[in-house]
Amino acid sequence: MGEREPGKPGLPPELDTEARSNAIYLTGRQWLGVGLFAVAMVLAGPTLWKNVEKLELEPDYRIPKDLSSDYWLFERFTQLAASRYETLVCGDSVVWGEYVTRQHTLSHYLNDLAGKERFANLGLDGAHPLALAGLLEFYSADARGKNIVLQCNPLWLSSPKADLRVEEGAQVNHTRLLPQLFAHIPSYPGLNRLIIRAREQISPRIGIVVEQRLAFSGWATHLQQVYFDQKDVPAWTLEHPYDNPIKPLTRGLPPADDVLRHEPISWTARGIKKQDYEWVDLETSLQWQAFRRAVELLQRRGNRVFVLVGPFNEHLLSQKNRNEYHRVERTIVSWLQVKKVPHLAPPPLVSELYADASHPLAAGYALLARQVFDSLSK
Amino acid sequence: MLFHTWVFFVFFLVVYPVFLLVKRNNQLMNLWLMAASYFFYGWWNPYYLLLLFGTSAIDYVMVIFMEKSLRTRKLWLIISLVSNFGFLGYFKYSGFMTENLNTFLAQIGSPFQIADPVYYPNRLLGLLGVPESHFFEQVILPIGISFHTFQSMSYTIDAYRGTIQTERNFIRFLTFVSFFPQLVAGPIERARNLLPQLQREPRITRQDLTDGLALFLVGFFKKVALADYLSLYVDRVYGAPGQFQAAALVLATFAFAWQIYFDFSGYTDMARGIARLMGFHLMLNFNNPYVATGLGDFWARWHISLSTWFKDYVYFPLGGNRHGWLSTYRNMILTMVISGIWHGANWTFVIWGGLHAVGRLLTRELERSRSYREAVPTVMKQLFVFTFVLFTWIFFRAQSLTDAWVIIKRIFTTRWVDPSFPLLMLILVLAVWLYEFLYNAGLKTRFVLELAPVRVGLVVLMIAYLAIIAQPSTKAFIYFQF
Repeated sequence: MGEREPGKPGLPPELDTEARSNAIYLTGRQWLGVGLFAVAMVLAGPTLWKNVEKLELEPDYRIPKDLSSDYWLFERFTQLAASRYETLVCGDSVVWGEYVTRQHTLSHYLNDLAGKERFANLGLDGAHPLALAGLLEFYSADARGKNIVLQCNPLWLSSPKADLRVEEGAQVNHTRLLPQLFAHIPSYPGLNRLIIRAREQISPRIGIVVEQRLAFSGWATHLQQVYFDQKDVPAWTLEHPYDNPIKPLTRGLPPADDVLRHEPISWTARGIKKQDYEWVDLETSLQWQAFRRAVELLQRRGNRVFVLVGPFNEHLLSQKNRNEYHRVERTIVSWLQVKKVPHLAPPPLVSELYADASHPLAAGYALLARQVFDSLSK
Repeated sequence: MLFHTWVFFVFFLVVYPVFLLVKRNNQLMNLWLMAASYFFYGWWNPYYLLLLFGTSAIDYVMVIFMEKSLRTRKLWLIISLVSNFGFLGYFKYSGFMTENLNTFLAQIGSPFQIADPVYYPNRLLGLLGVPESHFFEQVILPIGISFHTFQSMSYTIDAYRGTIQTERNFIRFLTFVSFFPQLVAGPIERARNLLPQLQREPRITRQDLTDGLALFLVGFFKKVALADYLSLYVDRVYGAPGQFQAAALVLATFAFAWQIYFDFSGYTDMARGIARLMGFHLMLNFNNPYVATGLGDFWARWHISLSTWFKDYVYFPLGGNRHGWLSTYRNMILTMVISGIWHGANWTFVIWGGLHAVGRLLTRELERSRSYREAVPTVMKQLFVFTFVLFTWIFFRAQSLTDAWVIIKRIFTTRWVDPSFPLLMLILVLAVWLYEFLYNAGLKTRFVLELAPVRVGLVVLMIAYLAIIAQPSTKAFIYFQF
C-alpha cells in the first residue's frame, strides 16, 4: 500500500494482508509524526482549551454542585483562586455551603470581615477526608505556598460506614479521588482483594490512576461533564440523536452555583431526631489517617495551614454520645497541637443555627466566620 | 483479559520486553509465551485452565500415538475428536440439548426428565465426599472454547492426514493452542501456519512494528469507538423489540450488522497487530465482507479462518462438490447449519445458519451464470448481499426465536416513525462503508486512500476521537461467548 511494497514475497494468500485488507498502514516516519501529534495533543490540549473556555471568578464563586466530580475544573479553579486570593478554604459541603446560597457561605462572611476578596471557597460536596487528601494531592498543586483553611468534619468519623471500614453498605463518594490499587479501604478495596473477587474492576481503576496524573484525561471527562449532561458523547447522542455534538461546546461554563437547594430551616424543624453515633477509634480510623496525610502534604508543600475542627452539631447527640464526641474532638486537637498546626475547635453554635449534623445556616456561618477570622488574625 | 483495557496494557508491558529478551532461545520463548497465554486466559477463570490444558494434552498425546502406530492411528484420531467434541458438547450444548429434550419428553407425555448438566459433576463431587456447599451452581461456558478446541482439532486432523509434522515439544504445542493474541476469538490458526513460526526465532522488522501498531489501532478504534457505540442503540431496541416500530428495528439491525463486524474484526485486527509486534503472522480473518458481491463471496470474506476450517474439515470430507449437484447442495447445507450451531446453543443460530444455507443454495447457480455476472451492476449485487445478510442478523442477535419473529413482523406491519437513530452513528458507519467501497473499487479510487496525508490524517482522527470522545470500554467482545 502507498509507499510500501504490497505483501511479502512467499507468503500464502491468506497472509498477504497488505494486498487484501483495508487496514491503514503507516511508515515508521509517519508513525513518529503521529506520535508527536499525540504527545502534543495530550500536553497542549487542556491548556489550549483554557483559552477557549473562559472561567470567570465571580465574587464568592463556588464550583457548581453538578460539577462536583469535575476535578479538572476544580484544578483550574484552584489555579485561578491561588493567583487571586490570599487564602483558600478547603473542605466538604460545609465549606461549600449546602444549605445556603454562595452569598452566605463561610468564605463570603470571612471576606466581609476582611473587607476585601481574600478567601476563596474551595469546598467540594461530599469530600470526605480520604477524598480530600486525593483532591489536594492530585488537583491542588497550584495552591503550593498559599494560606489554607482546612476544615475537618468529625461527621466522617461518626461510624465505621462513614470511615469506609465496612465491606458492604457504605456510600463511597468521590471514588476517583481515592487510592485505587494499594490502599486498604474495606469499602473500596485495593488490588489485593480485587484480584480475587473482582478482576474486571482493575482496568477502570488503572484508568483512574492515569486520570489522577494526566491532565488530558481529566479534561476529556470535564468536556463530558460540562457540555454533555454528565454523559459521554456517545450516550449523549442517543438522547439527542439529531443534534450537532460540536454545538454544546460553544455554550461555555455554567456560572457559579447560586441555587438554594434546601429550605433554610433548622434541623429540629426538619424533623431530624437525636442520634447515637458509633464514633470510630481514631487510632485506626482511615478518615483520620487521611486527614493527617492531607495536613502533612500541605505542610510539605509550604502551605500555611489552619485547621477548622467542626462546626459539629452537638445538640443532635445524646449526652453519652456527646462525651464520646468530645473524646474524638480532643484527640484531633491534641494531634494538631503536637504538630503545631494552628487550629480552631469552636464551641457549638446554638442549636437553631444548624440545618443538620454539621451544616450551619446562614447566620451560623456568619458567627463561625467571626471566630475563624479572629483566630486567623492572632 | 480484554485487549482494549488497561490491564492488558500492563500485561503486555511485562510480556513484550521479556519476550524480546528470550526470543533467541526457542525453549525459553515458548515457555514464556505459554506462561503468558495461560495467565491471560486464567485472568478470566483460572479453573478453566485445566480444560485448556487437558484438551491440548490429549491432542498432543494422540498425535504422538498416531505417529507410533500406523495401524491404530484412526483410533487415536477418534479419541481426540470425541474428547474435543465431548468437552465442547458438555460445556456449550448440554444445557440447550437437555432443555429441548425435556420439552419434547414432556410434550409426548413421558414422565422421564433428563437431569441438569451440572448434576453430573456435582454427583461425582458428592461421591468423593465434597460437601454440598461446594457444589457447582451451573455450567459456565468457558470463553473461546470453540476457538481453541477447533484449533487443536485441526492439528490432530492434519496430523492424521499426514499434511503436517508431529510437534514433539509439548510446551511449544501448548503455546500453539493457547497463543494469547488469538486464543479466545481467533483467527483459528492452522498448525501449518503457526507452529513453524513458533519453531524458529521470530524476526521482527520495522515493518512488523509499524503494521502491528496500525492493525492494533484500527482494531481498537473499531471496538471502542464503533462497536461499543453502536451497541448502545442495538441493545436498547433488541432489548425490548415489541416497543419499537419499523424504522427503529431496521436501523437497529443495520447497526448490529456493523457492530458485530466492528467488534469481531476489531478483535482480530488487534490480535493480528499484537502478534505482528512479536514477529508472528496470523491469518487474515475479515476482508471487507459488506462489499461482497455474492453469498459465496461473503463467506470468503467473513470469519475466513472459520469458513476455511469448515471447508477443509467438514465440506471437503463430506465430498465437497465432487459428486454431483445434489450432494454438493447437501454438503453446503450441512456445513452452513453446523457453522450456525458452532456459534451458539440456541435455535436462533441454527436458523441463522440455515438461512445462509438456503441463500447460498438459491444464489449459487445464479452467481455463476454469465448474464448475472456481467449484466447486473456490482453495486446492486453488493446491496442484495448486504440486505440478505442484514435479514439473517435478526436471528443472530435476537434473544429468542419469538423475539426474531416479533422484529420481522413489526418491520412489516408497524408505521415508519422517527427512529431517533443518532446522526453521528450513521455518519461514522457510512464513512467506513464508503472507505471500504472506495478501497474495494479498484485502483481508480483507491489511490486517494493511499496518499500519505490521507492515511496519516485518518490515524490522527482516530487517535483524537479515541482520546477525547470515546469512553474507556470494558465491554467484552461478542464472539467471546462462542
